Amino acid sequence: MTTMTLIHTNILATAVAPHLFWITSRAAGVAALILASLSVCVGLLMGGRLLQRRGPDLRVTHEALALATLLALVVHGLALLGDSYVHLSLGGIAIPFLGAYKTLWTSTGIIAFWMLALLGLSYYARGRIGVQRWRRLHRLTAVAWIMGLAHSLGEGTDAGQAWFLAMTAIVTVPAIALLLVRSLGGRRERLPARSEPRAARAEKTFVTANPRPR
Amino acid sequence: MSPRQTTPPTLTAAQLQARALAGARRAAMLRRMRRIRRSVAALAAALFSAAFLAIYVQLASGHDPALVAAARRAAATGSTSATGASSTGGSSGSTEANGTEATSNTSSGEESTSGSSGSAGGESTGAASAVTSSQS
Repeated sequence: MTTMTLIHTNILATAVAPHLFWITSRAAGVAALILASLSVCVGLLMGGRLLQRRGPDLRVTHEALALATLLALVVHGLALLGDSYVHLSLGGIAIPFLGAYKTLWTSTGIIAFWMLALLGLSYYARGRIGVQRWRRLHRLTAVAWIMGLAHSLGEGTDAGQAWFLAMTAIVTVPAIALLLVRSLGGRRERLPARSEPRAARAEKTFVTANPRPR
Repeated sequence: MSPRQTTPPTLTAAQLQARALAGARRAAMLRRMRRIRRSVAALAAALFSAAFLAIYVQLASGHDPALVAAARRAAATGSTSATGASSTGGSSGSTEANGTEATSNTSSGEESTSGSSGSAGGESTGAASAVTSSQS
């Protein structure tokens, strides 16, 4: 019985060994999707000021999750270099529309990665960029995350699996809900200011700045 | 010209207490930051490990979506070609292929390599060869 189990295990190990790079890439992709979704959730909670008292903790959590996402994405891409089936080159995993394997979805993933990397790491240069400008740019991270989600659902090997879809729903639905709340809330906040005609606002500003002499 | 005074200004007890409090708060914040970073790193490692293990077991047990799809396609191709050759042999060939599709994925590393990742056309050729070898 034990010998049979041992033989069976050896057979399985032999069969799985050539796929180790592929398994690594898939696992890293799954981890990256979860981490990125959590990071988006925390970022939206932080920016939306829903949990104001936990501000510093949320910032550190958001930063750590974002860095972990980037690391997982690097592993996801680099592991594909060792896969014997797709035969991707370094250019194929780093430059969009260069590889021949499912070009559209692969390119979506590559663009999403570069956007996440640039927009995420630009945090460390926000002093030079300007905080307001950086904040406006950082909002595009949500677009990159949605592109990554599309890449995983469109190209992912496990995209049709129940466990993958359930896991994706668990992590993405709260993020999408927060994103909607944030965008709708932001729009509602801006609306009253915009509803006032520009000329009237300009006149009010002018009158406040230059009171009429009596 | 008077020499510059380098001695620090004397602090009152309240100021010293405030400084100590600030230092303690800063230390607590740094500890909390370190703990959060460690937790996130552990979470990332756990997620990767769990996903790796799940996919590994799925693949080893012959339930991998890409491999099963490839084997199904190969079985369909095999049965079609076998039907073209002779009707009796074709039906038995397709039965064998269906029965051995999981085994062909797990028993031979070379066969499963050729029909491994993704779902492009190339893998059906590899899986087809696996079916052929299992038939023979």
